[in-house]
Amino acid sequence: MNLPAVRAIYFFELARSRRTLFQSIASPVLSTALYFIVFGSAIGSRMQPIDGVTYGAFIVPGLILLTVLTESISNASFGIYLPRFTGTIYEILSAPISAFEVILGFVGAAATKSVILGLIIFFTARLFVSFDLVHPLWALGFLVLISVAFALFGFILGLWADGFEKLQVIPLMVISPLTFLGGTFYSIDMLPPFWRNVALFNPIVYLVDGFRWAFYDIASVRPEISFGMTFAMLSVCVAIVAWAFKTGYRLRS
Amino acid sequence: MGSVLSIEKLTKTYDNGFAALKGVDLSIRRGEIFALLGPNGAGKTTLIGIVCGLVRLSSGKVVVDGVDIAENYRAARKKIGLVPQELSVNMFESVWESVSFSRGLFGKKADPAHVEKVLRDLSLWDKKDVNIRALSGGMKRRVLIAKALAHEPEILFLDEPTAGVDVELRRDMWEMVRHLRESGVTIILTTHYIEEAEDMADRIGVINRGEIILVEEKHALMRRLGQTRICVTLTEKMDHIPEGLFDRPLSLSPDGASLTFIRMGENDGKDDSLARLLKNLVARGIDFASVTSSQSSLEDIFIDLVGKSR
Ligand SMILES: Nc1ncnc2c1ncn2[C@@H]1O[C@H](COP(=O)(O)OP(=O)(O)OP(=O)(O)O)[C@@H](O)[C@H]1O
Ligand SMILES: [Mg+2]
Repeated sequence: MNLPAVRAIYFFELARSRRTLFQSIASPVLSTALYFIVFGSAIGSRMQPIDGVTYGAFIVPGLILLTVLTESISNASFGIYLPRFTGTIYEILSAPISAFEVILGFVGAAATKSVILGLIIFFTARLFVSFDLVHPLWALGFLVLISVAFALFGFILGLWADGFEKLQVIPLMVISPLTFLGGTFYSIDMLPPFWRNVALFNPIVYLVDGFRWAFYDIASVRPEISFGMTFAMLSVCVAIVAWAFKTGYRLRS
Repeated sequence: MGSVLSIEKLTKTYDNGFAALKGVDLSIRRGEIFALLGPNGAGKTTLIGIVCGLVRLSSGKVVVDGVDIAENYRAARKKIGLVPQELSVNMFESVWESVSFSRGLFGKKADPAHVEKVLRDLSLWDKKDVNIRALSGGMKRRVLIAKALAHEPEILFLDEPTAGVDVELRRDMWEMVRHLRESGVTIILTTHYIEEAEDMADRIGVINRGEIILVEEKHALMRRLGQTRICVTLTEKMDHIPEGLFDRPLSLSPDGASLTFIRMGENDGKDDSLARLLKNLVARGIDFASVTSSQSSLEDIFIDLVGKSR
């Protein structure tokens, strides 16, 4: 195990976000605050509690995930795409470092940043609404697992992309809609039966539902299933990345 | 001297079907400076890329200091430093950060003293906190060299290190390369400035269209293929060369004002052909005003070789 290399990549990536600390933290916090003001306080005050949870509190887990998902993806995809774009990837390819170690560095850094951001939003939300946290360890577990899974997904995106537009298109066109439809602002139990079943094809439903279960002990899907789905997504991403490195996909000609 | 890098029957066919290397055999001796010459597209960068892990080989074998790169890439790559042909530098980092990063990447513990030494040797010390993007092209090239040296490699690849670099930096760079060699580092470089290879290299390899067409000791090569052209300018024009003037092919310039012959081999001070010609001229009462000689360079040899293999 080439630990110095993992450490080098990890801190190099974290340092990159430190340089843009303001954008990296301020903008997600600001947008989350806006959601709380509009949906939590303004609209939420007219909404019925869902399963005994006030609407403002109900949307907290989903809002945290909304940011965590997009940030994990954008950080990891940018992290690996940038060296491909500038050509500095040559150094990583010529280094005595395995695919696993490269991923540990890049994905670890992106996931770390997302977890920190998730915690910041958690505490920001506290300023707007009061809410429970019934299973704190499970909540942290979901947060970490989801951050890692989506950082891996971002890494794959960064390997695949051949332009900066693609880096933005996927989170914008695929992940955001799925997150909005994934029960961030509502419970899928509110949907008519047909659409509820359709919603179950959206993997993000399980993430949001599992994460919300950790907060309030309420769930539309069984938490074990949510956890299993989260784990399955992680595994699929690991498999794709492993394949990419094995074949040199977009890395070695 | 043992070989520090040995390449056997190496081929590379890119995904688009282009065969960039067609069975290359090459052995690099420990501690030498080896210059790999060849026209654009000959396969130099591809060859270096395979040894360094940037390009996958199609077939063949590469052994770095006794380690097959396919079997133990870690051990092999640790020994190698690469200065790539393209000026690829980090966008947001300072020189210090970037060079320290390289060291870590190659599995070495942080060593600020070594990084400082490398930066000082390359006259980069006063730029250590500058964002690399803000450096000039030549300075960026130095940063790439510093990055390649950060992990104290035993074998250094320099892929056209002097492209776009001014005279002064080139001199500094070659000074540094000599120092590195003295400290035991093996250096493999490519260049299009053939005088550099002539000055620096111990051995020369010529590659053309994916095939090595020659590998030879520089001096042996110059001796074997070098020529000296000697021209004697006469005080009075002659209309033909007198019978029996010289025992070698001699040519008279069209205006009849000078005689020229070609002496093969590197100038080693032992050939007396010029003396014999001059004595014969004096004996026949033919006066001459000047004698000039010009030696063919490695460049002429190179052009000749590559031209023939076309
Ligand atoms: N990724 C690639 N896909 C397809 N062909 C490639 C690729 N990279 C290089 N080639 C081709 O392989 C040949 C050798 O290229 P290479 O870069 O090794 O040449 P070179 O000797 O370094 O040339 P130069 O002096 O211009 O740097 C060229 O014809 C080039 O077009
Ligand atoms: Mg080249």
